[in-house]
Amino acid sequence: MPEIADIIRQTLAALGVSTPAEVTARFDALRAEFERDTTSARDEASWKSLRDAWLGRKSGVLNRITEQWLKSAPPELRPVVGRSLNELRAHVEQGLESLQRSIAAAAEKAALARERVDLSLPGVIRPLGSRHLVRQTFEEIERIFLSLGFTVVEGNEIETPYYNFEALNIPEHHPARDTMDTFYLDLPPGSKPHLLRTHTSPMQVHTMEKQQPPVRIIVPGKVYRRDNPDATHSYVFHQVEGLAVDTDVTFCEFKGTVEYFVREFLGSAAKTRLRPSYFPFTEPSVEVDASCFVCMGKGCRLCKFSGWIELFGAGMVDPAVYGFVNYDATRVSGYAFGLGVDRLSQLKYGIDDVQLFFQNDVRFLRQFP
Amino acid sequence: MKILYDWLKEFVAVPFSPEELRERLSLVGIAVEGVSHTPAGPLLNLDLTINRPDCLGHYGVAREVAALARNELRPVSIVLPEVSESAARATRVEIDCPDLCGRFTARLLNGVKAQPSPDWLRKRLEALGQASINNVVDATNYVMLELGHPMHAFDMDRLAEHRIVVRRARAGERIRTLDGVERILSQDVCVIADAARAVGIGGIMGGAETEIGFSTRNVLLESAWFDPISIRRSSKALGLRTEASTRFERGADPEMAELASRRCAALIRELAQAEVLAGVVDVYPARREPLPLELSRKELLRVMGARVPDSEIETILGALGFAPRRTDETRGTPDSLLARWQCRQPSWRQDVTREVDLIEEVARHYGLDKFPPRLHPSKQPAARLPHALPEDRLRERLIGLGYQEIVSIPLVDEEEDALFRPAGVLPARVANPLAEDASLLRSTGLVSMAHALAWNLNRGQQSLRLFEIGRAYRVQNGAPEETRIVTIGATGLAREKGIAESARDYDFADLKGDLDQIGALAGGFVWKGDTLTWQSPTRAGQFSLSNDKPGWLVVSVAGGQTRRIEWPGGTLIGAGGQLADRVAGKFKLRQDVFLAEFLLGPFDALYQLGREARKYQPISRFPAVERDFSLILSDGTTFAAVRVVIAALGIAEIISVDAVDLFRGRNIPPGKFSLLVHITFQSHDTTLTEGQLSDFSSRIISALEQKLGAALRTA
Repeated sequence: MPEIADIIRQTLAALGVSTPAEVTARFDALRAEFERDTTSARDEASWKSLRDAWLGRKSGVLNRITEQWLKSAPPELRPVVGRSLNELRAHVEQGLESLQRSIAAAAEKAALARERVDLSLPGVIRPLGSRHLVRQTFEEIERIFLSLGFTVVEGNEIETPYYNFEALNIPEHHPARDTMDTFYLDLPPGSKPHLLRTHTSPMQVHTMEKQQPPVRIIVPGKVYRRDNPDATHSYVFHQVEGLAVDTDVTFCEFKGTVEYFVREFLGSAAKTRLRPSYFPFTEPSVEVDASCFVCMGKGCRLCKFSGWIELFGAGMVDPAVYGFVNYDATRVSGYAFGLGVDRLSQLKYGIDDVQLFFQNDVRFLRQFP
Repeated sequence: MKILYDWLKEFVAVPFSPEELRERLSLVGIAVEGVSHTPAGPLLNLDLTINRPDCLGHYGVAREVAALARNELRPVSIVLPEVSESAARATRVEIDCPDLCGRFTARLLNGVKAQPSPDWLRKRLEALGQASINNVVDATNYVMLELGHPMHAFDMDRLAEHRIVVRRARAGERIRTLDGVERILSQDVCVIADAARAVGIGGIMGGAETEIGFSTRNVLLESAWFDPISIRRSSKALGLRTEASTRFERGADPEMAELASRRCAALIRELAQAEVLAGVVDVYPARREPLPLELSRKELLRVMGARVPDSEIETILGALGFAPRRTDETRGTPDSLLARWQCRQPSWRQDVTREVDLIEEVARHYGLDKFPPRLHPSKQPAARLPHALPEDRLRERLIGLGYQEIVSIPLVDEEEDALFRPAGVLPARVANPLAEDASLLRSTGLVSMAHALAWNLNRGQQSLRLFEIGRAYRVQNGAPEETRIVTIGATGLAREKGIAESARDYDFADLKGDLDQIGALAGGFVWKGDTLTWQSPTRAGQFSLSNDKPGWLVVSVAGGQTRRIEWPGGTLIGAGGQLADRVAGKFKLRQDVFLAEFLLGPFDALYQLGREARKYQPISRFPAVERDFSLILSDGTTFAAVRVVIAALGIAEIISVDAVDLFRGRNIPPGKFSLLVHITFQSHDTTLTEGQLSDFSSRIISALEQKLGAALRTA
């Protein structure tokens, strides 16, 4: 501000200012000059030099004006110079203060932008495992039946033919044995014959042998069938057996239980249909179908264009079974079901190959955290 | 069983389209897999349950359609003109084994012109997957598909003495069957013989020598009934399943034998211009009165839980042939609770023998959808498995430590199992395995774990942490035994390289640290240095539970039973460490692999005990002070020994002793190593003074010097 520097070194008289209007014009020019200066100050250092230039104790603009203009002003101009000077001082002080605030704010913003973490960078990931999908399905089924008052029990995978077949009303030459190809154990001579259970149903018999009604149990576990492995067969798979026996259990309760399970497991939109069927240890026997959740019942490849998907077999306990456990078949009644855990998981998650459950490929397992 | 829609219509008016019929039949228990179209019209593919042999023919299915449509089932009407010559004079039938053959009927047809069948007949047979042979054989097959009863036609002129003897086969007796195979029979097999030799296997397949050919003139038509169990046994023993054996082993209708024979004779007469001799030779030792059955509304209500109207019950049972008759006192009152019906078992429904079977018949035709769903009022508390809680804690801890759960097939390879099998364990072998590499129930879960690691390594997954909660199997005192176990496997990186961290390999210390964190659930593990044959001799060990005390321990074993077993204190429950190179090579594992396994029974028991005994420990109000001791020790001195010496001082203010650094080399003489021990002191009563602390320190140092020859390292 060469011009300013020059002006403020002179007295008003030397500048030829003699009227109040001329005084005001001079001060307006100074104020405009200050405005110009503030626009160029962008950081702390330039703000400081701006402050010194205007408010500096010795050579600041305002100090100079006080010395040159006010002190030597003729009495008639003194009031107007004094007032204008005070106004200018107030303006400069206020302007500098707000400039300082905005510079500080800008500096802080810049620092934040520099130091801000990149939220798109990964954090430190400590690897977590997960439950096997079969285990998750077991737990889901257990949760539903626990809420209905069923107690969980477990059985041995190695069974005797009596518990796996005879006591379930499947005598030796029953054609139903053809549908359950069986692995037998090779035991030392003189041992009782044993087999790998073909279903979790033997625990029905074990439980009823030990306990009087009411009985409400589910039995999760592994079962074995001597089938050649392919996309829909594995010689090991998982079941949850269910059994309810009491003096007042009816088909209607069985139906209510099954429908509740299907809605809980597949979602409230799932419909249930019971289709008469045959099992040696239930009478009447049914297949439980659910409305196809792919086509919503319209018909598709999954449901073979029937709108329904077969979920599991079930029925009212055949009175012959009560004979094997000394229950009075004229007094008690009940129902049983056998859920295929692998099949239910396959259906629920669209898994087309049952072998995936046993290969334990982590790229498969990690999909179900 | 395949069913032609148009054929059904010959016996019953079908008010449904084939697709509707598919749905309707499925809902009464005759599952229809699908509908297809053939030159003989729409075809339904039935997936019959084994209890319904009556539906192995069109007439039986028509009966179901009649019941569900409430339409009339037309009777099988047969017009059979016979010549005056009597069949009984021309042949003789004897049954020597009435236990195997309950009925044998023979009809005779003379002057047969065996020739190819007419088109309409071929079309139907072919649509049902039956090859056309000649009009005589085709007629027997046609009637089988129509009425469900298998029959066989013999060339009468080839039967020695023109007579039939039904008997057990002689031991080693041979017969060449229609399929051209020479078969050796046992005495359990029922044969149809002439005066000289067997000419057919009863109920399974005829013999080649008496087969109907285009030169056949005279025919003996067999329509018989065989015992289901004997047919099943023979068919299995001979490895021969036929349309006939399938029907007889499930239980054919003995009453149908004569009717089917008449129908078949009429058809042959028509197709082959034969003369039918008068009458039938019918030997029927298994004849019996129809089984009386009873149904009461009370029982129906008890089983089903809802009422079915009288009219429905009577219509359904009537249509299915059970001839229901109300017999109770309240006959005039419709839908009375006391209603009872006297029924009789139709000969084609030998599967219905009890009241509950009648209930099923009523229910399936009434409609299972009509029974209202109900939930029972809960009367009992439900319980999880006895070991559910410790297993949850174990599983969640493993998952938190980064281990992925696996589930494997416990059938394994015998040789691979032997690599891990503890000495003295007798493995549980399968007598009839499907494959050599699945011939044994695993003795430990380690075999399965090694396989799971190899599977993933072979597929580019280099860093793995896996666990399985499963069972191990063995034979103990001649009986199989199952034990609950947990198996752990890890390989590759313990830590991946990232922006904040560098990569680090999984090492023995990772395995031990993870196992100790798991062991803490049951009061901690105590490690011992002896290694098993599958383990690396330097980086492995075995462990017991630290809290166990000699005596009896309650253990829940597989099978859900809780059993008390003697558990001497310090009994090993598991092992962990690096897999020995020799074993790793067998599985082609080319990077360091770490495995561990332990028994869950004792672990669960101590988890429960610990949980019950757990009490709050007051937290001191006074500051804890930490001191480091840099020790020079001789090789072979263990950290455990250091702890023992420090513990023996009995300084109650020591609240922890940790090892925080270990190194050899630089400034450390050979045969020695440096161990940095970090000790924390704290009192419950006072702030420890500098004087007390230096007293503790000098007592610790001098004890370590005296007992272990340790020296304090100066920087």
